[in-house]
Amino acid sequence: MMTNATLVAIVDDDESMRRSLPELVRKFGFSVRTFTTAEQFLASDCVDRTKCLILDVAMPGMSGPDLQRELSRRGQKIPIVFITGQTDQDLRQQLLAEGAVECLFKPFSAAALREALNTALGVS
Amino acid sequence: MSQSTCSKANQPAERMVPGALAALKRQETLLAEIERVSSTGGFCWHPATGKMTCTDQVYRIFELDAAVPLTLPLMGSRIHPEDLALLDDMLERASAQASGFEYQLRLRSEGVKYLLLSARRSEAADDQPSYIGAIQDVTRSRQSEEALGKVRSELSRLARVSTLGALTASIAHEVNQPLAGIMTNASTCLELLGSDPPDLDAARETALRTIRDSERACEVIARLRALFGKRSDKTESVDLNGAAREVIALSLSELHRRGVILRTELADNLPLIAGDRVQLQQVILNLLLNAAEAMSQIEDRPRQVLIRTELEESDQARLTVQDTGVGFEPQEAQRLFEAFYTTKSGGMGIGLSVSRSIVESHGGRLWAELNAGPGATFTFSVPTHGNTGDAQSRCGAHVIASSEPLTGPA
Repeated sequence: MMTNATLVAIVDDDESMRRSLPELVRKFGFSVRTFTTAEQFLASDCVDRTKCLILDVAMPGMSGPDLQRELSRRGQKIPIVFITGQTDQDLRQQLLAEGAVECLFKPFSAAALREALNTALGVS
Repeated sequence: MSQSTCSKANQPAERMVPGALAALKRQETLLAEIERVSSTGGFCWHPATGKMTCTDQVYRIFELDAAVPLTLPLMGSRIHPEDLALLDDMLERASAQASGFEYQLRLRSEGVKYLLLSARRSEAADDQPSYIGAIQDVTRSRQSEEALGKVRSELSRLARVSTLGALTASIAHEVNQPLAGIMTNASTCLELLGSDPPDLDAARETALRTIRDSERACEVIARLRALFGKRSDKTESVDLNGAAREVIALSLSELHRRGVILRTELADNLPLIAGDRVQLQQVILNLLLNAAEAMSQIEDRPRQVLIRTELEESDQARLTVQDTGVGFEPQEAQRLFEAFYTTKSGGMGIGLSVSRSIVESHGGRLWAELNAGPGATFTFSVPTHGNTGDAQSRCGAHVIASSEPLTGPA
């Protein structure tokens, strides 16, 4: 993959997600970085370059929604695709209302993820 | 006549003044009535000669003919075969001149009949010890105890079901994580096989990851079955740290969801305890979820739970769950453990009450304290394996007490 491909960052404390997701997202043609915590992502040099964030909701320390609010406070308008093991429609509506592009319930299909990424990046 | 006493020979009745004789008769009638009302009979046993005298009530309890002199073998013929060894034990103790003994015996009767036999050594005239004791029919109180035990275990099951309900979201999360891995890996695998040329090495790697995720899902299910599946109560050696770790693994995502930070300080080399692993895990889970609940409205400080295990000086293993939640009113400290007392809107108020009865059935204690800072600490301590003798007699051996130590080293 080209090094200047669109960068997608994945933040999830779950190891099997961090192992499986990057390869699929690369197959979609994006470049990928993964982070175990929201704090790690904020401290990285990726914040300015990330074009889309795949973000877990429940994590120890700073949660996904916490990171969403922090980015918005900093004026960083990174499109966010939430992924969560918690099938909670109210939570989903709330996250979408706060500006998330999509909120996918785990387990989600590759097609659903691709569609969400395309929406986030304005690709039709 | 079966009625007699064992002390020095009675004064011959004819030498007594008539008034005293009448008074003695009245007393005898009264005592017989008391024995009948209390389902208790008296006996005297002379181990050296094997001679045994007893009151009529003993014959009634044993359902024996009062005309036939009572002997130990005759008693044995009425005792439940599984409890016959206790008679041998009694003989042994008597020949060792034990100062007393107490046994719970069952009789072969239509229903099972439960007896409590207790006796004390008494020095008789010929300097040969004899034993004076009482035999009580405790069938009714045993039946009430059993009924109470059933209610208690039903309550405990109810508490488990309500805990299961509280954990539903967490459990779904635990299962959804590996499922998500499986779906993503399988999709990636298809992509890799479909590319031209197919990337077989990478595809093989994703297939292996799929297997690992499936195994992880199976582990979650196995943990759930262990904690919530149908089971019978049993006593085993329990590693309190291991039991706590399993509970933490199941509830971690629930804690994360509630924004709770969990810290653990588990003591090294904590001795094993004798008990019911799953019941103890239920207690830990209950305390943990209570702690999370107590912090749900806290916004001005971190929501922190500390689980600590340690060994007390008295060889008790102790587990504490400390939170930074709303705490409780000092006057509430005792009521917290009452059944159906709750401060939660959705709670049934049986969690802490059941938890306390579980801990107490392990010979331990459960209590609550307010922290110096915000929040509360719930602690339970249970005896470690050093005290297995106590644990055994507690768990249903028939010898229930003795004026001498039952077993060797405590």
